[in-house]
Amino acid sequence: MLHAAIQKRFASGGRGAFALDIAFDAPPQGVTILFGPSGSGKTTTLRAVAGIVTPDAGRIALGAHVFFDSQTHINLSIQQRRIGFVFQDYALFPHLTAEENVAFGVRHGNVRARGERAREWLALFKLSSAANRRPRTLSGGEQQRVALARALASEPQLLLLDEPLSAVDAATRAELLAEIANAQRQTRIPFLYVTHNHAEALRLGDHLLVLHEGRIAQEGAPLDVFNRPHSAPVARAVGTENIFAGRVISHREAAGITLIEVGEGCRIEATYNALPAGMPLTVGVRAEDILIARERITQTSARNVLAGTITKLSQEDARSELLVTSSGVNFKVSITPATVAELGLQTGDQVYLLIKARAFHLIT
Amino acid sequence: MIWPSLRVSLLVVSIATLVTGALGLALAFVLARREFRGKEFLDAVLTVPLVLPPTVTGFYLIVLLGRRGILGRPVYELTGWTLTFTWQAAVVASTVVALPLMIKSARAAIESVEPQYEIAAYTLGKSEWETFRLVTLPLARRGVLAGLVLSFARALGEFGATLMLAGNIPGETQTMPLAIYEAVMAGEDRRAFWLALMLTLISVAAVYLTNRLSRPPTQTS
Repeated sequence: MLHAAIQKRFASGGRGAFALDIAFDAPPQGVTILFGPSGSGKTTTLRAVAGIVTPDAGRIALGAHVFFDSQTHINLSIQQRRIGFVFQDYALFPHLTAEENVAFGVRHGNVRARGERAREWLALFKLSSAANRRPRTLSGGEQQRVALARALASEPQLLLLDEPLSAVDAATRAELLAEIANAQRQTRIPFLYVTHNHAEALRLGDHLLVLHEGRIAQEGAPLDVFNRPHSAPVARAVGTENIFAGRVISHREAAGITLIEVGEGCRIEATYNALPAGMPLTVGVRAEDILIARERITQTSARNVLAGTITKLSQEDARSELLVTSSGVNFKVSITPATVAELGLQTGDQVYLLIKARAFHLIT
Repeated sequence: MIWPSLRVSLLVVSIATLVTGALGLALAFVLARREFRGKEFLDAVLTVPLVLPPTVTGFYLIVLLGRRGILGRPVYELTGWTLTFTWQAAVVASTVVALPLMIKSARAAIESVEPQYEIAAYTLGKSEWETFRLVTLPLARRGVLAGLVLSFARALGEFGATLMLAGNIPGETQTMPLAIYEAVMAGEDRRAFWLALMLTLISVAAVYLTNRLSRPPTQTS
């Protein structure tokens, strides 16, 4: 298990002083997500665990292996920590080929043995054809796979990933997510993963920490945290997205519709996706994409008309946030204060939610 | 007196370039990657021979290393040996005037290497020395080579400081620039011409070689 308690104060730069003060335990296996907006301290946390940044006080230990302890004055070098680090911009050595980059990380053996080991890693990441190419001739996705192979080739006890997929396109991202998840299962070491992307957090995360202004604002299972933010900063950090775990019930391909059950018995119609019936999935719908009606509307293009009850109503800045519960599922709805006033909406009122099938999007 | 001065020049310049390269690279790394008090002062002291007249640099070297110098006197009293008027003095003079060029060029080259690459090497278990050898130096290669050839050229042309500290002893401390000066003074223009031509050819060859070595790697896909 990774235990980290980190306190670090930064002298006021351009944007004033910043203080990091967090403590968390990450499970011994699986992926722990550090989630939050930029400037919340995610990357600093990762760099402190790696030994790139030295905390003012605290304790960082992976099981019995103490990396840092301000009380006993332990501060291991980056090399002694046996960690792998995957950088946002890959940090592949530009003067070395893909194979040489990976061989650079292999710890044991002579030049030939290291080269052989590197080729095995490249094969595992389907990069054999890129072995002799230099990083700048590779695509972003290929570069990140080389970076992953290089980090894993050094046989780390812990893998740290700093927004590794922020610079690749959506299709490549999905592919790489599968490979990262696969790598975690095979290596059985803990991953600490920095991101502000919901899909990455949901797809990979076993545990999620939301950081806000240098502190942990909330932690838990990713879906729980996203759906039940305890505070306004967390709600802002996780966005106005409704995220539901569900499963495919049936398809009507000709009609362009997939029927999905979310929660316990709340059925929604989404646009057609060729997924097998019964398959578990996660769908999202933005709070801004949901309409509210007082009466049940029948003649409408919206495929989903759901009856529900307003369980919460709050106003912030120039927008009103409603929580509407329908068949036990909570929908966040964002509308203008004018609508709230004109419809006379109040907590406890019965309303209807209108959602286009297209407004639901597949997250994982 | 053509061949003796060529021999002295080649001996002095090759040793001075080696010392400048090694010492300059080490100092450049420290100045580029370490933070300590007096760092910019150290940089200024090491750079000052670049702007001082070489005779002034030579004068300070005598004050420091001469028989009655700050360091020279204890050495002389202990061993009976003194640096002045030896070929080693010519090496010292050439090194001191060439060092700033190496430091400037290599420091800029090392500073232009993203620290991220070095951190990546550390996370892959490489020591600082291994990282310097395998990552920083290859990435800073072109600036370092450029510094080396500038130092070589500067050492080859060294005149003032060498004359002050090493004198002008034919076959011993008389380098080619000194031999050219002496030849012109004695009215032996023919000898001066051949010496000057030889010096020019060596310099051009050095610059050509470095340009070839430091050409950016050909783009391969």
